[in-house]
Amino acid sequence: MSKETNFTLSRRDFLKAGAITAGGLATYGALGSGFKMISAQDARNQLQSKTVYTACVMCPAECGLAVRVENGVASAIYGNNHAPLNSGVVCAKGASGLQMTYNANRIKYPMIRVGERGEGKFRRASWDEALDYIADKLLQIKREHGPESVIMDAGDVTDRDPYYYLFRAFGTPHTVEHGSICDTPRRHGPKLMFGGKRVEPDIMRPVLVRQPDGSLKNSYKYRTRLIVYAGWNPFTATRIVYESRGTVEAKLAGARIVVIDPALSNTATKADQWIPIRPGTDPDLFAAVLRYILENHRDDDPFRRYIDWSFLEYSQGWEEFEADFRSWWNKKDPINGLDYFTLEWAAQRTLIDAKTIAELAHTFGITKPAAWVWGMNGIGHHYNGYVAAIIGTALNVITGNMEVPGGAIDTEIVKSSKGGRAGGGFFNGRDVTRRINGVDVTGKQEQLHMDWYGDWPAGWDDVVGDYPRRFIEGVKLRYGPFRGHEYPLRAFFLRTGNPVITGSNTQTWVDALTAKKGNDYAVDLVVYIDTPFLETGLYADVVLPECSYLERMSLADIYPSHPLIYLRDFVIDKMYESKSQYDFMIALARKLHEKGDPDIDPAEFWEKYPTEEDFWNEALKVSPGRANAGVPLPYPQYPVNYRLIGTPDSLEAGRVEVDDEKKEVRGEPVTAQWFRDHNGVAVWPMSWYRFHDGGVLQTDSKKVEFVWDFEMESNGETQRKGRYAKYNKLIEEAGEAPPSIRKLGWDKFPKSFYWFETIWNPYTNPDYAQYKDEYPFLVVSGRIHHAMSGTQMVDWLGRIPTEDLWMPYNEERIVEEIIIGPDGPAPTGRQVRIDKGTWCIGVIQMNRSEGEGMGLQSGDLVELSTPLGHSTRGKVNLVETIMPGVLRVPLGGGGRFSPGLGKTYDFRDVSPNHNAIVDPEGLSPVMGQPVYCDMIVKVKKV
Amino acid sequence: MSQEDDLLKEALHGDEVSRRSFLGKFASAVFAGLVAPAVAGKVEPLHAAPATQAGNLVPLLNLPEAIEGEHPVERMMDDLRRALQKPMDQRKWGMVIDLRKCTGCSGCNIACVTENKLPPGVTYRPVMTETQGTFPNVARRFVPRPCLQCDNPPCTPVCPVKATWKRADGITVIDYDRCIGCRYCMTACPYSARYYDFGTFYGDSEGGERQPYELLPTPEYGKNYLRDRGGSPIGNVRKCHFCIHRIERGDLPACVLSCMGRATYFGDMNDPRSLVSELIAQPNIMRLKEELGTDPKVFYLV
Repeated sequence: MSKETNFTLSRRDFLKAGAITAGGLATYGALGSGFKMISAQDARNQLQSKTVYTACVMCPAECGLAVRVENGVASAIYGNNHAPLNSGVVCAKGASGLQMTYNANRIKYPMIRVGERGEGKFRRASWDEALDYIADKLLQIKREHGPESVIMDAGDVTDRDPYYYLFRAFGTPHTVEHGSICDTPRRHGPKLMFGGKRVEPDIMRPVLVRQPDGSLKNSYKYRTRLIVYAGWNPFTATRIVYESRGTVEAKLAGARIVVIDPALSNTATKADQWIPIRPGTDPDLFAAVLRYILENHRDDDPFRRYIDWSFLEYSQGWEEFEADFRSWWNKKDPINGLDYFTLEWAAQRTLIDAKTIAELAHTFGITKPAAWVWGMNGIGHHYNGYVAAIIGTALNVITGNMEVPGGAIDTEIVKSSKGGRAGGGFFNGRDVTRRINGVDVTGKQEQLHMDWYGDWPAGWDDVVGDYPRRFIEGVKLRYGPFRGHEYPLRAFFLRTGNPVITGSNTQTWVDALTAKKGNDYAVDLVVYIDTPFLETGLYADVVLPECSYLERMSLADIYPSHPLIYLRDFVIDKMYESKSQYDFMIALARKLHEKGDPDIDPAEFWEKYPTEEDFWNEALKVSPGRANAGVPLPYPQYPVNYRLIGTPDSLEAGRVEVDDEKKEVRGEPVTAQWFRDHNGVAVWPMSWYRFHDGGVLQTDSKKVEFVWDFEMESNGETQRKGRYAKYNKLIEEAGEAPPSIRKLGWDKFPKSFYWFETIWNPYTNPDYAQYKDEYPFLVVSGRIHHAMSGTQMVDWLGRIPTEDLWMPYNEERIVEEIIIGPDGPAPTGRQVRIDKGTWCIGVIQMNRSEGEGMGLQSGDLVELSTPLGHSTRGKVNLVETIMPGVLRVPLGGGGRFSPGLGKTYDFRDVSPNHNAIVDPEGLSPVMGQPVYCDMIVKVKKV
Repeated sequence: MSQEDDLLKEALHGDEVSRRSFLGKFASAVFAGLVAPAVAGKVEPLHAAPATQAGNLVPLLNLPEAIEGEHPVERMMDDLRRALQKPMDQRKWGMVIDLRKCTGCSGCNIACVTENKLPPGVTYRPVMTETQGTFPNVARRFVPRPCLQCDNPPCTPVCPVKATWKRADGITVIDYDRCIGCRYCMTACPYSARYYDFGTFYGDSEGGERQPYELLPTPEYGKNYLRDRGGSPIGNVRKCHFCIHRIERGDLPACVLSCMGRATYFGDMNDPRSLVSELIAQPNIMRLKEELGTDPKVFYLV
């Protein structure tokens, strides 16, 4: 055989290949994988390969994808080159989507519980039976307690609108998502000051920029000179996916990268400087940097001109903020006796030496453009993370780095809008009447909200971490028209997400979901809707199969630097009996309607949105919905600061209606079909300086607000405005402060800068100093991007070690195999051998010399126990990549007791569950975020 | 969806369409790995796509014109097109991996696994982690390690049946139909870049049923091997081949396309205008185990 002929196929071979493929297909049916039997002839006729543009949802980064489909089977996942967010790249997790979609442990059919909650005993049911069961319970709950007793938690994965739409129509304001158990303290500063959420460096490339000649061109230029990532690890927490390639590209283009983290994260490996910091002291570092900048700034010295006073043009309240910040400068810290926010004070607390802090502050002050970025674990998972987020936001503003090319961008307020009417928000505006203390009171549906008018008025992302308490205690409203209204929580719908493992303390969630009132469970109805079967599913009464992301339609929910949106499109047929979000919404709405629910109007459901595409086209009607603002102006032909709506090409071509009254420019609406005709992606132009004259700011004053409860003139009258004003008005009317902030000694929310200490930190908070010797380790949560809570059954990812947290430390085991069958978790009768060192498990990352000093070796099983009596077990990994006195434990990375997790389940006894040891009552005071990173432990070898 | 789909439908359902035009149209990458090489015939470019120019195989990106830089994929695909216009022996494929940009995500590894339908235990492109120093002076780097496509490969001469050799364009290939699975080549490779296919499936340890993606043929070398039937490449040695089946139709290797840090570059080193030629001329270039004299065609920027 010659070399050439080795790679030659004749036409006959070609046909043979088709036949072989068909033969392969026939086996699907035989093996019962949910595929129809296909004859060889059919297969030949259907033989086809195509590429479909869609959006990932293996993680919330939701990259644009190009999925190859062969014979109806998704065969490979690549990035969509046209989506600037990921610009064609795809990570290990994204590429592994095949194993999530085609997984033996998928939920395949509706199931109804037959054992006790937690036992994992189910039986297969039809959709009709399952929906009957659900609808009957819902209507019973509505009759007995009102629709507000129902929670729809649409979880970690986006595409939430159909669920929100249905349950808001049903009458409950409790339509929530993952945000409140994610990182709300980190978002707090930008929300207060910009109305935003996520401050990120301007390193998404390419960006589409209007040129002087009027054309639109892609710019790949990196202008950033300095990025400080504090407690932020974008290489593994990839929501802001462009920060992977962007950070390394910016560095090669001359930027300096500083990473502040107790562990050498993957991001830190690419930093010019890694600064290990004691956990929970990021606010201390930030405050010291701000104090240094304020104390050392000189207008007349180019080497110390840190502050760019032009920020005063588009902000208000700086004087008050600065005064409140300075008011701490002469106070003495009760632990170290030093003045607050001084370099020495911060050095004592952070374990970073004073010189390094001064150098960092100076470097950040004089290097422009720069971005000061803080992250999820380092700031979002601490009790006092708000303080860091507020100071961090201020640092970017006063140094003149917000919205300059190469500086910092709040992606929340520049990304494309979507949802609109399809979110169903308008249902929350309906008038409802409740009888309270013998009096009929009328208010808005939204005012029944258990957080906003109950214990967490500033919990604007809802407070899922506090659900367990209220599942047992019920809700009593404190504020608004329904003050005094009490209701129990009777139904909990969870669609994706897994609060038993990720929503605060695991045992607390288990106790709440299994608590009984009389013979019944306190929460009468628990419904679990998802593709994989995770721990919370074990406690559900009804388990429903949701389509994987390759089988449904919706829109990417992404955080780019400018308006950009793409479609999640149908890639393969819906598998088994799974339903998409839309399918579920329509099916349950019909059921409720049939059973007489007056709140379900066919005209708002199947009549208005006969197909899935109709529904998502509705959601696109508001896109991009951002102001025509900044430099270079995205559309010079339209008035500045008018809201832009419509496809990029219609706006470009002038096929628009300019509405001077509403200040809107309306082109042709974006539609699913438009995406299919345009590589799956809509991109509107980038601009900078978008804060001037209001621009994209979402605050009351349309300025950057350093004060959050203030008076301003509007329409000739004085109005009370600012993000906290709304809550303070409620508090003043009711005459009581919410319990969470009373703990801080506040009677209402502060007008400007505030400071309080974190919890469970003996080095900064005197209340915990007593524990210092007995519990010498601070525990922080780590992140295994590619194998977090919901994707650990994916085999490919189980083979890739990550960041010293997810390591092939399994011993050899022969296990009785269990998979999720039609009746729930069931043994297959097979024994499977898992060889030593072939499967990654979550481990406890520990400093090597410290561990060796305790007589430990890598791989030893240890027990971590807390002053509260909680404990968890796992193997230690002794490495040089973490500072002494700190243990890093992957959140959701171990102790996984859902049999739907494959081999991860098989090693649940030797891998640590981070949330087994989190303080269940340690919800951060403003927004109720569980404080995953505030805990101390002692370590004992098992 | 796309133009290719329309072409496909036309080709499949239009009775009037002759087999010749059918085949011709399918050469335009419609069938991706499944069919293109089959109809393309030999790997030599002039024969690779009889009905179309090699440069038209995979659609262009159609991104807006760039100022200040360019999309690296666009640049590399242009390079690839130019290379495919030349006879095979006049091009020399090379890869450059910029270790300063590798973020250690292993996306390349999994993209390769899905593209080539690799079974458990076979990994063409592992990403190795190297950590040095003691706290707090610690450095870590990630080193993706594909087959280095040595110009002087120690693995090929040891093959007793001549099932593996180096092609004129620099890629070392394995003929699965000829390989007897003796694994001498694995021992000979100083980079441990060769793997043995033991015939396992992911489904074996997940309920016992093979999953649909495992039943698709592996497109390697354009042959559509169907492992599900127990045939090759089960029992063969396998390794990275720069995704020959992709590059021959004008597409980039799976790892290059996927790379999160945009750290991997591919192209024709014989073309002075290509991106890889530019990068290889950098002073901070290095190769693995240079001292062995294997002359690898995978370069690292450090």
